[in-house]
Amino acid sequence: MIRFLLKIINTYKEYLLLFVLSTISLLVLSFNDNPQLIRLKQFAFGNFAVVSELINYPLSLIQKRESIEKLKRENARLMLELSRLKNRVDENRELRAIFNLKDSLNYPLVAADIISKTVNNIDGSFIVNKGLNDSINIGMPALCSGGLVGIVTNISNDYAVVRSLYNTKLKIAVAIKPLNINGIMTWDGSKLVIKNIPSTYDIKIGSLVETSEFSTIFPPRIPIGKVIEREEVPVGSLHNVTVRPDTDIRTLYNLFIMHIVPDKELEDIKLNLISK
Amino acid sequence: MIKQILILIFLFTLLAALQITVVPLISISGIAPNLLIVLITFYALKNGQSFAILLGFTFGFLFDLISGGVIGVNMFAMTISGFIAGYFYNENKIEINIATMNLFYINLVVATVYSFLYTLIAAAGPELNLFILLVEGSFLPAVYTSVFALPVLVAMPKRELR
Repeated sequence: MIRFLLKIINTYKEYLLLFVLSTISLLVLSFNDNPQLIRLKQFAFGNFAVVSELINYPLSLIQKRESIEKLKRENARLMLELSRLKNRVDENRELRAIFNLKDSLNYPLVAADIISKTVNNIDGSFIVNKGLNDSINIGMPALCSGGLVGIVTNISNDYAVVRSLYNTKLKIAVAIKPLNINGIMTWDGSKLVIKNIPSTYDIKIGSLVETSEFSTIFPPRIPIGKVIEREEVPVGSLHNVTVRPDTDIRTLYNLFIMHIVPDKELEDIKLNLISK
Repeated sequence: MIKQILILIFLFTLLAALQITVVPLISISGIAPNLLIVLITFYALKNGQSFAILLGFTFGFLFDLISGGVIGVNMFAMTISGFIAGYFYNENKIEINIATMNLFYINLVVATVYSFLYTLIAAAGPELNLFILLVEGSFLPAVYTSVFALPVLVAMPKRELR
């Protein structure tokens, strides 16, 4: 009997091995939120990021030269915008004083370099060189000059993983300006889409898209991009709206992490939303 | 044996680091090659199916850990890829398979399976459409990956083939 079993195992060992290892893989996939697995991941990516940073160093010298030119242009553009906005700030301050509004977007920004990226059309993410030692925490939004880039989903002492907008697992509550139409924006593998917006709303191409007041993971009014397309849904009087970020997220090498202190009461709900 | 394991660890570290630092620079509209698949295919053709399955499983697990992604996606996709690559193993044709265009074609098949499974698991949801899954998610990354098998077959000695 044992000899027969050994013969069977020997004949089909590749299939058995495949079955066992595939089953383990799928089990691990379903236990991703396990604290021990999360700690192992933090340890692994935190340590391997040192190797990535070493390889990335010569590349970053080339990239920095390009980005300096880009930043100079950006700087000039921002200077012009700044002078225009200064006037608006005075006006705004007066109005806020009148309505006694709190300045809710006054968060400090932490600059970070992207040291590695996952490039595919499904689960875009970055590893940045800031972590717990820089007071970065899970759930903090990542920004660039064009607006929202993603959210911190994993962290070690010196490094953090940022899930980018180009990730099918990131779903963001957004508002389309100036009509303040709320919707959920997702990455479908090729574009950012806000689905099922009623056709009755007259959304113009070029309308600004921002994070919504109803977002549980992002502060409101962070710009994301602009509407570039309206597509009619075949069934019902609904539209899908395509959004393009103002900055090409795939070519980013630097970003800022918005240092927000999350609301303790909402913390659990927020983290649940991120992990789904 | 120890020497072979050390070589594998070195190759994995090098290729995984290149995958997350240099490959993003050469990606075209989000379509990027996967260098580890070339390595798995190469070792599958050289050492057989069981070795390739174990290699795919180990590489997938380690890559999931260091890339900060979801653990299990690469693990599963690379295990199956190792199994598929191992199907092409023939101990009488090792040199022919790894030193001729066979490597390119086999790698294309393996990379297509890998990309398909990866996209299917990582992006499973109503947003995923068939075109993205088959073309942008599977075939194009596989072609790009297979291009990186060409330097390997050029570098392999051809004397056994004569």
